[in-house]
Amino acid sequence: MKISAKKIWILGILVVLGLIIYFPGHKLARAHVNYRTGVEDHPLLCLDCHLYIQSESPITKMINEDYYSPINMAVSKDGSRLYVVAQEGNALITVDTEQNKVIGKIGVGLLPHSVVLSYDGQKAYVSNQWSDNVSVIDLAASEVVDTLQTANGPSGLAISADGKMLYAVNTYSSNVSVIDLQTGEEQKRLDVGNNPTGIQLSPEKKLLFVTSRRANIAPYGEPVRTDMTLINDSSARNSGFRTLESAHMAENVAFTPTGDLAIVTLMRPKNLVPSIQVERGFMMNHGIGIFEQKQNGRIIQLMLDEPNAYYADPFDVIITPDGKKAFVSHAGVDCISVLDMDSIRALINSSTPETLKTYENNLGVSSRFVIKRIPTGANPKGLALSPDGKKLYVAEQLQDRISVISTENLEILTTIDLGGPEKITVSRQGRRLFANAGHTFQNQYSCYTCHPDYHEDGLVYNMASKDMGRNLTNTQSLRDIGKTAPFKWNGKNQTVFKQDGIRFSTVLTRTEQFSYPDLDAIASFIMTGIQYPPNLQHNPTGELTEAQLRGKEIFERSVDNSGKEIPVGNRCITCHPAPYYTNKMLRDVGTLAATDDSIRFDTPHLNNIYASAPYLHDGRAATLEEIWTKYSPYDKHGVANDLSKIELNEMIEFLKTLSSPDYTESLKKEKHTENTSN
Amino acid sequence: MKIQVKSNRVLNFVFVTLVILIGTTGSINRVSASGSQKTEKEISKATNQSSPKEPTAKAVASDSKPMPVYGHWKNFTTKDGLPSDKAYAVRIDGNRVLVGTHDGLAVYENEKWRTYTTKDGLPHNGIVSIDVSELTGDIWIGTLGGLCRWSGGKFENFTQLNSGMPNDLVYGVCCVGKDVWVATGGGAGHYDTNLKKWEIFTEKNAPMHEPWTYGVSAGDGKIFIAAWGGGVIEYTTGTKKFKDYTDPDGEMEIDLLPNDGPVHDITTGTSWADGKLWVSSYFGLCNYDGVKWKGYFDHDSGLASNFINFIRAEGRIAFMCTDQGLSSSDGTNWVTYKKNENGADGKAIIITNGVKKEIPLSPSISHNFIIGVDADKNFIWVATSSGVSRGELLK
Repeated sequence: MKISAKKIWILGILVVLGLIIYFPGHKLARAHVNYRTGVEDHPLLCLDCHLYIQSESPITKMINEDYYSPINMAVSKDGSRLYVVAQEGNALITVDTEQNKVIGKIGVGLLPHSVVLSYDGQKAYVSNQWSDNVSVIDLAASEVVDTLQTANGPSGLAISADGKMLYAVNTYSSNVSVIDLQTGEEQKRLDVGNNPTGIQLSPEKKLLFVTSRRANIAPYGEPVRTDMTLINDSSARNSGFRTLESAHMAENVAFTPTGDLAIVTLMRPKNLVPSIQVERGFMMNHGIGIFEQKQNGRIIQLMLDEPNAYYADPFDVIITPDGKKAFVSHAGVDCISVLDMDSIRALINSSTPETLKTYENNLGVSSRFVIKRIPTGANPKGLALSPDGKKLYVAEQLQDRISVISTENLEILTTIDLGGPEKITVSRQGRRLFANAGHTFQNQYSCYTCHPDYHEDGLVYNMASKDMGRNLTNTQSLRDIGKTAPFKWNGKNQTVFKQDGIRFSTVLTRTEQFSYPDLDAIASFIMTGIQYPPNLQHNPTGELTEAQLRGKEIFERSVDNSGKEIPVGNRCITCHPAPYYTNKMLRDVGTLAATDDSIRFDTPHLNNIYASAPYLHDGRAATLEEIWTKYSPYDKHGVANDLSKIELNEMIEFLKTLSSPDYTESLKKEKHTENTSN
Repeated sequence: MKIQVKSNRVLNFVFVTLVILIGTTGSINRVSASGSQKTEKEISKATNQSSPKEPTAKAVASDSKPMPVYGHWKNFTTKDGLPSDKAYAVRIDGNRVLVGTHDGLAVYENEKWRTYTTKDGLPHNGIVSIDVSELTGDIWIGTLGGLCRWSGGKFENFTQLNSGMPNDLVYGVCCVGKDVWVATGGGAGHYDTNLKKWEIFTEKNAPMHEPWTYGVSAGDGKIFIAAWGGGVIEYTTGTKKFKDYTDPDGEMEIDLLPNDGPVHDITTGTSWADGKLWVSSYFGLCNYDGVKWKGYFDHDSGLASNFINFIRAEGRIAFMCTDQGLSSSDGTNWVTYKKNENGADGKAIIITNGVKKEIPLSPSISHNFIIGVDADKNFIWVATSSGVSRGELLK
C-alpha cells in the first residue's frame, strides 16, 4: 500500500498541531486540576469531574443506578415474611424467610422510613418521610389501600395498645402525629424532643418511648442534652421527658421483655473540646443509654467502643424475646455488637452512681458485656428478630442486602439479595466512604456522624485553628451544595476535592488522606447524591401566601421603611440571590467573635433554611428571629432594624419557604400538568 | 376629666401596671360609673342583711336555675407554701390547680404546693395568665417576660426575640384546638402548634386602636380580644375576618346610652360561654348574645365594683374579678363575695330576682382585690392580691 506524500504531509501537520495543543493544553489542565483540588499530584482524570459530578448530565444519569437502600424491617407474626423498607426504592419489599427470597414489591411514597404491622397482621403501615404521609398496605392484596396524612418527615411508627391509634414520629417537625385508624384522620400532634425518630410501646402497653437525635439547642459551652419523650398511651398525651446528658443521636429504642429497661443507641460528641483531641481518641464515642423504667429510675450510659477501636454510628437496637441478648447495628463500621444483658444488669446493679458516671467515658467497660462483633455488609441499619428470636435480620443499606444471623451461634446464616443493581457506581462508592468511619483515627467517626441524613447534626464544634483560635463552627448541611462553592464558613475551599483532601485528614480524620479514587468518589457523592427534602411544611404548593409574599417584598426591598435607599451591599437579596440564595462571596455581617480567626464569612445558601437551626457561623442564633432581634444591632446583616414585628415575621415566613430549585421546578411541572389536564 | 384613649403607650403601661401590681391595699376607694365614691364600709352597710347560716342552693334559687354559691372558703398564702401572696391567675387542671403569682408558678396537688420559677425554666416569675390545652394537656403560661409551654414537665419559652411572639407581656392566653392565642402588650396573635408558626395582629393589620391587648377568649368559632381603647376585637377563625365592637357613645366616664354596645372602649377581659360574650372593663360589665348588648354597673346590679380586672364565664355563670370582691351572675341574679375590712370573715351578698340577701362567711375570701378566677363542678379558686382562696360549691 502506497501512502501518498500529500497524506504524509497532512498527518505530519496534524501531529505538529496536536503537539502544539497538547503541551500547553496539558499545562492548562494541570493548573486547572491543581486549583480545583488544592494539590499538585491529583491525576488528570477528566471524567472524574466532568462526568461523575455533573448531576444534571444525561450521561451521568445513565451511568448512575437506582438502589433499594433497605433501612428498617418488620417480621410477620408467624415469621414467614420479612417486610423491608427500601428507602430509595420507595417500596416495601416482601421476603419469604423460608426460601430467603424476595417475593414482592409494593410501591409506597417518597423516601419511606419505617414499617409497622397491625396486630392482626393484615396491614402494614409505612412512613413516607418525603411525602409526609403513611401508606396503608393490605398485605393479602399486596397493595396500598389508604394514605394517612402526617406532619413533616414521618419516620418511626407505633400502634396503640388497643390497636385504634397510629403514632407517627415526625422527624423534621419534631412532633408525633396521633392518627385514628378507623377514620384515618390525624387527631393531634404532640411536640416531642428535637429531631425524633424511634418509637416503641412498652411491654406493659402503657407508655410510648420516643427517641430524639438532635440535642436541645443551647448556647455553646452548655453540655449537650437530648430529650427522650414519654407518651401516655391511654391519654395520648406527653407524660414527660427523660434527658440524655452529653449525648445525642438516639436513633432507636428497645424495651427488655419485662419492660424494666429501655435501651437507646447514642453518641457522645466532645464538641466542647478542641477538635485537635481526635488523635487522643476524644472526639466522639458511641454506645447505649439505659433508662430504668421505675420512679426515679437511673439513666446510665455505657460505651460500646474499645480503647483503640471505635464502633461508630450505632443505629438500631433490639433485644431477644428471652431478654438475654441485645444487638446493636453500627452503620459506620459495618458490624453488629452483641451485648450480654445479664452482664449489663450485673454491671449496673453492682455499681455506685459515681462509678456508673465514670463508665460514660470508659472505653474499657465494653469488654465486660460485649460478647461479639459480627461483621456485616456495608452500612447496617435496621434490625428485626424472628418471632422465636433465633434469627436476626440486618438491613445492609449500602449493600442492598439483608443479612440473616443466628442469635445462638452468632454467625451469619445467609444473606438475602434484594435485587438491586450489582454495579457499584462511583457515587455509590462515595456514599459508602462517606458513611464509613474506616478513614478516621480509630474509626472514631464517619462523615455521616456529624452529617446525619447527609445534613448536619445541629451542633457547634470548636475547630481549633493552627493559630489556636477557638473558631466555633456550626455544622453546615451538605444538601445540594454542588453549586454553592466555596465551602467552609471562611470560604477557603473552592471545591469539595479540596475540602475533603489532605487538609481534611490533617485537621479532622487524623489518618492517611483519602486515596484519589476515593476522594473523587466521595466528591462525586457529595456533589450529586444529596438532595434537599421537599419543603412540604412551609412551601407545599409553590404558591406563597399573602404574608409570605409580603415577606418576599421585604427580602427584596431596596428602600427601608423611612423611604431611605438601602445600600446595595446591605440588601438581603444582594448576598442571597436565587436560586441558591447565596452570591458565593465573603461578607462581614458583624458576627465575628473575639476568639475567631479574623475572617469574613462565606455567604451560606438558604434553601431549606428552616431545617438548619441553630444559625450563624457559631450557632449563636437559636432561631431565625434571633439573627435580627439579637445579633444584628447595627444592621450589618442586612437592614432590618426598621422592621415591625409583623414585617420581620413575614420575612422569616418567606425565608422558610425557600426550597431547592429541583423541588420548585417539580411543583411547577405538577401545577402545569394539573392545569392542562383540567 | 375625659380620658384620652389615644394616650401614649408608656402611660398606659404605667397605669395598668400600677393597677395590677400596686393596687393591693384592702380598702381602695373607687370611682363608680356615676362618679360618686363609696367605701367598702358603706357598701357593707347598704347590704347588711345578716343570716346565721351559709345558704343552700335552694335558698338562692331563681325562677330558673339557682345561682351557685360557694362557701367553706379556705385561703392560702406564703405561710401555706405559696411563693407569693400576690396571685395573678388561677386555672384548674384536673386534680391540680395552677396559680400564677408574682414569684413564680404555684401548683396545688395532693394538698401541697410546689413552686416553679425561672430556675426551673420559666421565662419570668411574674405569671399573669394560664390556660390548658384540652387537645394535648399542655399548659400555656403567660408571663411578664414571654409565653411558656409546660409539657411533660419541660418549660419551652417563646419570646419576642426568639420567636414570632408579638410581645413579652402576655396578659392573656387561650388554647383553641391546635392554636394558642395570646393577648400581649404589643398586640394579639396565635401560635399554630401544628405548623409552629405565629400570626400576630396589631393596629397595623387589625381594627385595634393600639396594640395593647389585655385578654383573649374563644367561642362559637370566634376569638374575642379585649383591646385597650379598642373595645372588643372579634376574629372569625373560619373567614379570618375581623369585626370590632366599641362603645357607640364614645363616652369615657359614663355609659351615656345604656345597652348600646360595650360599656367602654377600655376593656380588660372577654369570656364566651353558653352563647353569650361577657366583657369586662374598668368601668363596668356587659354581655352580648349576638343580637343585643346589656350593660351592668355597681349601682344598678349586684356587681361589686365597676373596676373589673378579669372575667371568666363557665356555662351560664360569669365570674367578675373586681377591686372590691368577686361577683358572679347569670345576667339577672348575683352573688358577690366580699371580705370584711377587718379580720378573716366576710359575706356573700346574694341578689335573687331583685331580692337582696347577705350571709356571713367565716372565713371569707383572702382579699377583695381579685385578679383571677376559675371554677369547676365543685370548687372555685380565686387569685387575689393577698393570697389564693378556694370555695366549695354549696349543695
